[in-house]
Amino acid sequence: MHALDVAGESIELLAERALFISRFSTLVVADLHFGKSAAFRARGVPVPAGVTQSDLERLSAVLNATHAQQLVVIGDLIHARDGRSERTFREISEWRAANSSLHVSLVRGNHDTRAGDPPSDWNFECIDGPLLMGPFALQHHPGAHDTRYVIAGHLHPHITLRGAARQSLRLPCFVLGKRGAILPAFTTFTGGGAYARSDDDEIYVIADGEVLFAHPRK
Amino acid sequence: MTATVHSIVFDNANAIDDAESKPAIRASTFDRRLLRWFATRKWKPFGFQQEVWDAYARGESGLIHAATGTGKTYAAWLGPVLEALDETPRIARVRKSDKSTVAEAKKPSRVTGKLRAKSEPLRVLWITPLRALAGDTEQALHAPIEALELNWTIESRTGDTSASLRRKQSERLPTALITTPESLSLLLCRKDHEQIFANLRCVIVDEWHELMSTKRGVQIELGLARLRRICPALRTWGLSATLGNLQQAASTLLGMNDSGQPNAARLVQGFVPKSVEVEALVPETMEHFPWAGHLNTKLLPQVMARLRQAESAIVFTNTRSQCEIWFQSIIAADPTWFEFTAIHHGSLDRKQRQDVEDGLKTGRYRVVVATSSLDLGVDFAPVDLVMQIGSPKGVARLLQRAGRSGHSPGRTSRIVCVPTHAFELVEVAAARDAIAAGNIESRDPVDRPLDLLAQHLVTLAVGGGFTRDGVLSELRSTRAFFELTDVELDWVLDFITRGGNALKAYPEYAKVVSVDGVYHVANALTARRHVMNIGTIVSDASISVRYLRGGRIGSVEESFIARLRPGDKFIFSGTPLEFVRVRDLVAYVRRAKSVQGAIPRWAGARMPLSTELSLAVRDRLERARLGDFEGADMQAVKPVLELQANRSAIPKFDELLIERNETRDGHRLWIYPFEGRLVHEGLSALFAYRMAQIAPISFSFSCNDYGFELLSPDAAPLEEAIENGLFSSTHLLADILQSLNAAELARRQFREIARVAGLVFAGYPGQSKSVKQVQASSGLLYDVFVRYDPDNLLIQQANREVLERQLEASRLGRVLQRLRESAVRIVHVDRPTPLAFPLLVDSTRAKVSTEKLVDRVRRMTVHAERASRPGAATVFRPTE
Repeated sequence: MHALDVAGESIELLAERALFISRFSTLVVADLHFGKSAAFRARGVPVPAGVTQSDLERLSAVLNATHAQQLVVIGDLIHARDGRSERTFREISEWRAANSSLHVSLVRGNHDTRAGDPPSDWNFECIDGPLLMGPFALQHHPGAHDTRYVIAGHLHPHITLRGAARQSLRLPCFVLGKRGAILPAFTTFTGGGAYARSDDDEIYVIADGEVLFAHPRK
Repeated sequence: MTATVHSIVFDNANAIDDAESKPAIRASTFDRRLLRWFATRKWKPFGFQQEVWDAYARGESGLIHAATGTGKTYAAWLGPVLEALDETPRIARVRKSDKSTVAEAKKPSRVTGKLRAKSEPLRVLWITPLRALAGDTEQALHAPIEALELNWTIESRTGDTSASLRRKQSERLPTALITTPESLSLLLCRKDHEQIFANLRCVIVDEWHELMSTKRGVQIELGLARLRRICPALRTWGLSATLGNLQQAASTLLGMNDSGQPNAARLVQGFVPKSVEVEALVPETMEHFPWAGHLNTKLLPQVMARLRQAESAIVFTNTRSQCEIWFQSIIAADPTWFEFTAIHHGSLDRKQRQDVEDGLKTGRYRVVVATSSLDLGVDFAPVDLVMQIGSPKGVARLLQRAGRSGHSPGRTSRIVCVPTHAFELVEVAAARDAIAAGNIESRDPVDRPLDLLAQHLVTLAVGGGFTRDGVLSELRSTRAFFELTDVELDWVLDFITRGGNALKAYPEYAKVVSVDGVYHVANALTARRHVMNIGTIVSDASISVRYLRGGRIGSVEESFIARLRPGDKFIFSGTPLEFVRVRDLVAYVRRAKSVQGAIPRWAGARMPLSTELSLAVRDRLERARLGDFEGADMQAVKPVLELQANRSAIPKFDELLIERNETRDGHRLWIYPFEGRLVHEGLSALFAYRMAQIAPISFSFSCNDYGFELLSPDAAPLEEAIENGLFSSTHLLADILQSLNAAELARRQFREIARVAGLVFAGYPGQSKSVKQVQASSGLLYDVFVRYDPDNLLIQQANREVLERQLEASRLGRVLQRLRESAVRIVHVDRPTPLAFPLLVDSTRAKVSTEKLVDRVRRMTVHAERASRPGAATVFRPTE
């Protein structure tokens, strides 16, 4: 966990690939891509199941740890239309039943427009975004907002760190820029995205269950 | 053109007389008409050709090995032709009166429906590794058919075949079909494949030495097993260059009989060069001659001097980048040479390659700078001078290239090697020794690739279906799957029907379904996707390069283009170009005025020095240590070896040299087992892993054919590790597996497996978004499998392939044994030695670490994104 002040608001970056805004008791996650394995299977690529279940367990753990009242998914909840498999949906329904008091919002992302909204019995509030919360605009695509600090996803940012003796590491990261932040993808079944760092960006990497500030090279 | 070239070969053969022709001509297998055709061309059959024809007539199969362009093609091809003449002496030939039809038959691929319908059904299948060779082969095969007026059609079917011809072929195939391993698999996907192959007499596999140790070779083995089921009397003939294990090559091609014995194979030797001279160009002084790298052109003046004396020359290079650089350098040295100098490599457009090949034959081009793209070919142009830029890498390879000079059976071939760094001089001397000793490389066949089996079984399921027992005996008739276990087959069957994890049911997954014991593909979309992704070749996404005004130049890797900005200059196809834009997988360019620009790099496995050559190098170094510098090349490299001896040592034959060095950049160990790159890859991971067990430490390492470098931020506990059994064979397998995982070698190997087994789609231009949604990198899939389905046999295959093929596991054990018995000599050096330098500058690195991630992160920094320079590649400057 790493506490920070952003736009006058206290936030926490969590190693479970989530962001917590304490004043609103809100957990923000991006890019869950539920049903991605099922979508692969449906197109003849036998990816084993298990990703959804372990992602849900991690989500429950971080909700318990933060006592969050609200969950905001900033896009790409379901991966593809043919990822809406019975098995995946059953697992999510069971998770929802166990967390029924939680208020859940989905700010739709590019995958959601194709894959469709979650079933109504999950009781997710779905909007096209941005969702405004205090000084923040929660949305799927990174970009500037006239009056708010943007918290977005979509890019699945990773960064390469370098050290002496030609050591290098590529890790998922949070990006905190001047006008907006980008969250790492919540699901682990995804590769690095197209994020290119600009000099102003502060980077927090996730390693061994910790969130660490990545020092820029002097 | 074909005729000209072959007549040179055959005329020369006549000159050396009939001593070679052994068996008497048998009237039954030797047709007067054929003899007449030979006579009109002033040719005479060779003894080895007749031997093949006779064997073919007796129903035998086998392997023909000879140098390129010495009549192998007709040795194989005329067997089936003679058979046809024998069977139907008069009737089946096209009647002379039907002149129009004959005229049309002269043009390959332009067969009218009328002739197609009347021609003989498919009798001969000719498999070639390169679709670029199909056109040449078609011409060569066509010549005798036309002259003998046989009622045959000959066509190619490859990725290059036009849609209209494909359509005609799906109605009726030609009498002889030239195709690639992939296109053969595609034919097996047809539900009527049993009918279309019903009259097949013979399969000829060209360049079998190139194919046999690859998964494409296994693809052919599987295809042949299927064809032999359909036509039990099928004859198979392979064409091969010289190999160390020809008998094994033959039995791999011919497979096993019902009692589990290899099918009888006749080995026929054609012409091989009587002797080969290998000469090295030597630098005047070693003072400024580099110790590493392969892209320098220091010896350009000497190369130019040699080229000036030659009527025609091929300059062989080891990589496409090297090829571009040398072409550009030659032109820059003398711009008037542009008229008669050409470039030839695999990324250039087919039309241009064809033009260069033709130009070499007609004399329009005197100098061709080429890669291995010019190693293969039926239509063969001998030249005065063959040069080899950079390391020869292997004995067989050098022999094959040398064989293109002063070419005539039985005469001396010569090749001039041009070293690009000091140790290549030793390699040239070593290659000469290996040739003199007759130590030619073997190629090992591939054992049980389950990824390919998965692909093949889906192919059979699409092509009409199969039963478990039927397919098992068919598979066990191949060498590759001879030892396939029931467990393995059942796992693969489960993999294609239920996703490979029998404990879980995935209703959404149903690639192959089993109905009453017959496995087949019911879903048309599944079938179509499978057909589109058949094959075993893994290549990086490539982008087509075109002029704005039209005209395709070739293709480069997407990653190279991605680094370019509009206006950046680069050199490709020997032409300075300016990058304009990318649209729809096409990079548009215009000609640039300046000659300076980046040279594209193409990723691709670096070719290791062969075992035979590595051994010969060790031998040469041992002689040098004892003061024997025999040969101009060894004389030239003497100062460098002396420097090595002074700064450190030249290791004795029974000694392991380890050099240590400490700089601001970190601690380095240079370790020299001289066992070749593949073994060093495994050994470096193993050593790094074992040392890292003593204390948490992070290594990055690089390997070459002589040794490897282990680089760490802190000093490695070397002495302690040696005492604790660094070379021990205890827990060897477990330690190797652990180190493979730590170094992510198996994860890398999974790339090919994922592609072949259909986990990763090759993709195609213009693909829809919905296809992109099921694309994941093989590395990501590997991670998911390891975590959620660790028993998946494809993961185990990745481990096995790295162990057996990349690391040559059994050899690794022997190497450790040798190292245990060796004296270890540790030398502290304050500057890199000539042996260390190439390892120091090598930027291709693997990593092993036992430190906690958080500890590593704390010592690292995020670097500013580098301004993207053109390709971050070699930049060619004419003044250099």
